[in-house]
Formats: sequence, structure tokens, C-alpha cells
Amino acid sequence: MISFELTEEQEIIRSTMREISRDALSPEARRHDLDGAIGTAVLDTIWQAGIVQAQADRESRSPVSNVLVLEELAAGDASVALAVGAASGFVQAVTDQGSEAQRAVFLASLEGDRFAAGTIAAMEPDFVGDVTRPATRVLRSEDGFTLSGRKTMVPLAAQSTHFLVIADLDGASDAFIVDASATGVTIEARQALGLRGLGLGEVNFDGVVLPTDARLGEGNGADVQRIIDGARVGLAAAMLGLSRAVMEHIIPYTKERVVHGSPLAQKQKIAFDIADMRMETDAIRWMTWKAAWALETGLDATRLAQLAYTYAGERVMQIADNGLQSMGGHGFVEEHPMEMWYRNARSLSMLESVAGV
Amino acid sequence: MVDFSLTRRDEELVALAERENKIALKHARAADVHSIDGALPFALPHPDVAGLQDPFEALANDHEGTSSEVIAEALMMISSAADADLRDRDHAFGSLVLEEFGTDEQKAKYGHLKLAIGLTEPGAGSDPSMIRSNSRYDAETGDYVLNGEKTFISFFNIYDGAVTLVRGEPDEKGNRPFHTFVVLRGQEGVGKVPSIRKMGMRQHDLAGFSMQDVRVPEIAKLSADFAKTFSKFNHNRPLVAAVALGTCRSMLDFTRERLEARGISIDYAKGAAGRSAAEDRLIRMEALWEAAWGVTMYAKWKQTQVGTPSYDYRTEASISKAIAGKAARTITQTCLDILGPEALSEHYLAEKWFRDVRIADIYEGAGEIQRVLVAREMLGYKRELN
Repeated sequence: MISFELTEEQEIIRSTMREISRDALSPEARRHDLDGAIGTAVLDTIWQAGIVQAQADRESRSPVSNVLVLEELAAGDASVALAVGAASGFVQAVTDQGSEAQRAVFLASLEGDRFAAGTIAAMEPDFVGDVTRPATRVLRSEDGFTLSGRKTMVPLAAQSTHFLVIADLDGASDAFIVDASATGVTIEARQALGLRGLGLGEVNFDGVVLPTDARLGEGNGADVQRIIDGARVGLAAAMLGLSRAVMEHIIPYTKERVVHGSPLAQKQKIAFDIADMRMETDAIRWMTWKAAWALETGLDATRLAQLAYTYAGERVMQIADNGLQSMGGHGFVEEHPMEMWYRNARSLSMLESVAGV
Repeated sequence: MVDFSLTRRDEELVALAERENKIALKHARAADVHSIDGALPFALPHPDVAGLQDPFEALANDHEGTSSEVIAEALMMISSAADADLRDRDHAFGSLVLEEFGTDEQKAKYGHLKLAIGLTEPGAGSDPSMIRSNSRYDAETGDYVLNGEKTFISFFNIYDGAVTLVRGEPDEKGNRPFHTFVVLRGQEGVGKVPSIRKMGMRQHDLAGFSMQDVRVPEIAKLSADFAKTFSKFNHNRPLVAAVALGTCRSMLDFTRERLEARGISIDYAKGAAGRSAAEDRLIRMEALWEAAWGVTMYAKWKQTQVGTPSYDYRTEASISKAIAGKAARTITQTCLDILGPEALSEHYLAEKWFRDVRIADIYEGAGEIQRVLVAREMLGYKRELN
């Protein structure tokens, strides 16, 4: 039965996250951008909210609830949303697809009260690359595997305890859990255009020797598409939050700013851009919910996830672009968050496999 | 709980609509060609649907177990496309206004008639304040005398008349109120205008009429005021969106099938850089369709929550109409372009869908009007934004 009604629990999650986002994330977003890192206090606040840990419960975790969380967090700071999404994505992959032994080992690390995360390493430093065709390879060896390749845009690269590396095994994508301190793993910070707080980095795997049980799901291997689908929905949710931030910022600005005798917001071009922001954020939201619902109910979500991700990617860029334009010079300077949102919009809409739901 | 699954009853009704659409597709070209001058190519109901259950009657008779009656209606419209009306459906908007706002006496007099709605004028489309048709009360006879011209009136030439909106006489401040009258075709002073030739939606008769000293009795004056008359739009706008989505669905399916026949299959798993241009463009059009589907369903769900007479879903209704209207333009333009020149041929229906659906971003409030309404709500503006 078609319904857009959230459960009471989801309403509470949403309003709690909205509060955290407004009070703890928004005021720190610029600092995270300038520092190139998320403050430890912020990460610990998020960790103590239990979002990442909740992903370890296969029965109760809800992709629909997760997209609500990511929307709200991204409205405050997209870097923090993706940090949570990345850590969640790792936990979800291990929870859903890990062997019993893998679950026991990796989910135990969630018990502390400091942010402790694994992340997914999927993208590669190659132009026109495609996440479904990794060049990073795993070869079978006598007592396990050898991993070679290079991953880029890895969130929290320096802080991650483990990487879930998407790599080719026997001509198909598979996933491997790699200890960040393993021999042959080198991590290089590489700042990027946007999401600077996220600490994106490159990770090189130079003939890293992996035991048999490093393969996610062990003997059966992993369903990598499921990880990609979840991440596309997560990214769409983060793009939704960012779009909303732009919209909510631009409304008071354009109402106050008087140009040629009347407020900017009374000029049709500006008012229509603002109407479009509302229309498109609504549309992205329902597409994201629908894809999350498909994930939650175990339907094939690949198509819906792709469509939500593609649409959100187009629109978030357009929304940030129009938002910046309507602020004129103020949109270009660091005194306002708009230029940061503009950079973040382009970044969010191009990443893959970094924010599970 | 968030849920996007259809109920069993939703699915039954959608299946009925789809069955009828399959039949309609066979007659689509005939309806398009023969209706250029407003004439229907076949008598209704068409023999091909005789004996088959009418999908919308089935909905009206039994909507128990649907997601909601209005959601099911929208789902059915998305599935039924608009290629050829095979049944004599009641689109009489004016009759609905009479039914809702007329007195018992008025319903007894006009209730059996099919009445169009007469709003638009040659100089007044989206802006009803420009309406110049007027009425004057003749105290001697007790009649009202109407003058003016109406255009773009759906089905006027095949219905019995129209409920029409005109200006009354100025009050002490000089303001001219809106009045609503029933005007009958063939009545003295009501001038006939030939059906309007148009690019698409040719089966949908469109005409106009002039009023030259048309005398109507007091009973012809309805108490449906301006705001009341327009309140119906909130229910209708997402349905207009749904109709457009139906045509776009046909276009997307056609495009995908033709691409597949040439060995280009759509892979939703791959990243953007791994796709061919045709594949990438079609995926973007599919995404646009899904976006419009979502806002349309949300508007109908919200209508279910707050009730049809409520104004509390008007912004969502506008959003649905605006996104679907723009999507219809983009999807049909792009799909033809993806397929190349062969898609222009009248041998296929694609070129007809391209023509038909262009009106979706104009009628029942152009995209710009919807944006004014959405922006006013967001910005707390009324007339400051126009």
C-alpha cells in the first residue's frame, strides 16, 4: 500500500538528527573544510549517537531510517554525513555479507566509545573509471590471496582501521577486508575539491598478502553490486541534505537582499529557481525513499538506486549552482557557506560506493 | 511505514487500465488523423471495449483495498496513457461544479446536461484577473445579460453548454466580482466557433464560444465563486501529471525496446563512465520519470491524508504538475533524439506522443504558474510575486 508515512521511531530519529545537525554540525562545517578534517569531538558525538553501531543488527537496521539520518546530517555538513555513511557502509557489508567469523571479529570493534571505523575503498585513480570494473586485482595464492592496485577518494583514509577493498577476482568484482596496518598498504592524504573534512586519501596495495578469510563472505564471495546500490542510495540522501541546506540558506538571503528597488526573491528568475529547489528536493527525497524501501524489503534495488543517484547528482549541482548565482559575489567568498556547498555538490555527485544505507 | 508496493486491488485496477491501453494503441493513429477537425473517428463506446469492464467504473464501484481511491486513480491514469478514448468518459468539469455548488433547483434544471467549463478568454489564459466577459442584471426582466468571448474550452462543441466565469457589475469601490453562469449551446446570442486545430491531443475536442447579449434567467447563476471553482484544480493537477506520465511511459518503453533490438541494452549497475551515450541518456530520462512519479504519488497520498476539499496539498499538487510537465517535454524530445530520424516517421506512435504531451506543461496551469504558487508558499508572498 503506497504510503509516505514514517514510523514513530523514524520521526524521532529524524528530529534528533536534525537537532544534532543544526547545533553541532552546521557551526563546524567551515572549520572542517579549512582544517581538512572532522573534529574528534564531533566524530565522537556522532559515534555516541549509535548510528554506525546500529548497522550491525541485521534484523532492526533500516535503510529508510538511514536515508533520513544522512539527509539530516548532510544538511549540516556533508563531510560528516559521508563519514557516518562510510563507516556504516563497512559495517553493513560485514553484517549482511560477512561470514560468522568475520562478523564476530569486525563488529566487536564497534564496542568502544570513540569513533573506530572501517571504510570501503572502491574508486580508482583513473580518468573515466567505472566502479563496476575495478583494475585492482586479487590473485589466488597457495594459502590465500595477493592484492595489488590503487584506490582513491577513500573516506577517512588515515583514520580507518580497515578497508573493504573492491577488487577483481577471477574476472568478477569481489570484496576483501584489509587491515590498514598490513604490510604493503600505504596511505597518502590527497585533498580534493570538496568534502575536505572527510579526509579523502589514496591507498596503495602493493602485493598485500591476504589470508583466505579476508574475502568478504569467505568461500561464497561478495555481492558487490549490493554494496554499490546501497552507496548510491546513501549518496542520493546526502545530496538531498545538501540541496536542502542551499535552499534553506537562500530563502532569507534573497528576501532580505534588495536590488533595483525590490527584494531578489520577488524577481521571477530567482523565485522560480527557489521553487525548483523545493520541487527537486521533494523529488529526490521520494526517489531516495523508494530505493531505500526496495533495499529494505529485499527487492532488486539496482535500477531504483541508479535512478535516485543519477537524478540527485544532476539536481544537487544545479541547485548549488543557482544558489551560488543568486548570492552574487557573496556566493563566491568563504564568508558564506555557499562556495563550499558548490564544491561539495560536485564532489558528492561523482563519488561511488562510499556511503551505505 | 514507508511503502511503495501496490495492493492487490491497485494491481487489478492497473491491469484493467493497461488492457484498455493496449486496445487503444491500435486506434491511436486513426484518432489522431481523423480528429483534426474535431470529429471522432468512431462511435463510443468503441466495439473493441464493448463487454469489457470499464476500468474507472471498476474503481468507482470498488475501491476497497486500494492504497486509496485517489492514489489508485492516478496509478491507473499512468497506466492507461491517452492515445484514444474508447469510451464516453465523463470529463464534464462544468457539471462537477454544478453538482458541487448548485442548488437542488439548479441541479433539477441543468443536472442532466453535460457542461464544459468556460474560463479562458483570448486575452486571459493563466491570469483570470484579465477576464473581460461580463454580466449585467436586467431588473425589468430579472434576467442576466452576458457578453464576452471564451476560448480553449474542452468539449464545448460536443457538450450541451458550459459553466462560465464572467465579471459582474462594479460595486461601490469599483471592483467587479466574478460570477458563474450556465450557458447553453444553441441559446440565442451564443456564437459557435469551429473546433480548434492543434498539434496533438486531437481527439480532445477544443472550441470556444462568443456571448452577445445572451440572456440567462436568475436560476442559471451558480454560487460557485472564483476560489471555489478553482479548488478543483488541486485534485486535478496530479492527475494531469499522471496522464503525461502515461504517455512518457509509452515513449520510454518504445525507446528501450528499439535500442534493445539494436543490441543496446540498459545496464543500471554500471557507473556513468561505463555507459554508452544512448544508454546514459535513457537512464537520465528514466530518472526524470521516476522523479515525477514520486511527487505525483506524494501529492495523492497527501490528498488522502488531508482530504480532497482541503487546501493543504495544493503546493504538492503544483509540484507534481510542474515536474511532470517539464519531464514530459524533456523525455519525449530526448527519446526521439536518441532514436534518430526513423523515430520521426508516422509509421510509429513516437512522433504522436511527442506532439500530444507538449500541452502537459501548459494546460491546468502552466509550469510557470505552478512555480509562482510554490514560490509564494515558500517565501510567504502573495501578490508581491507575480
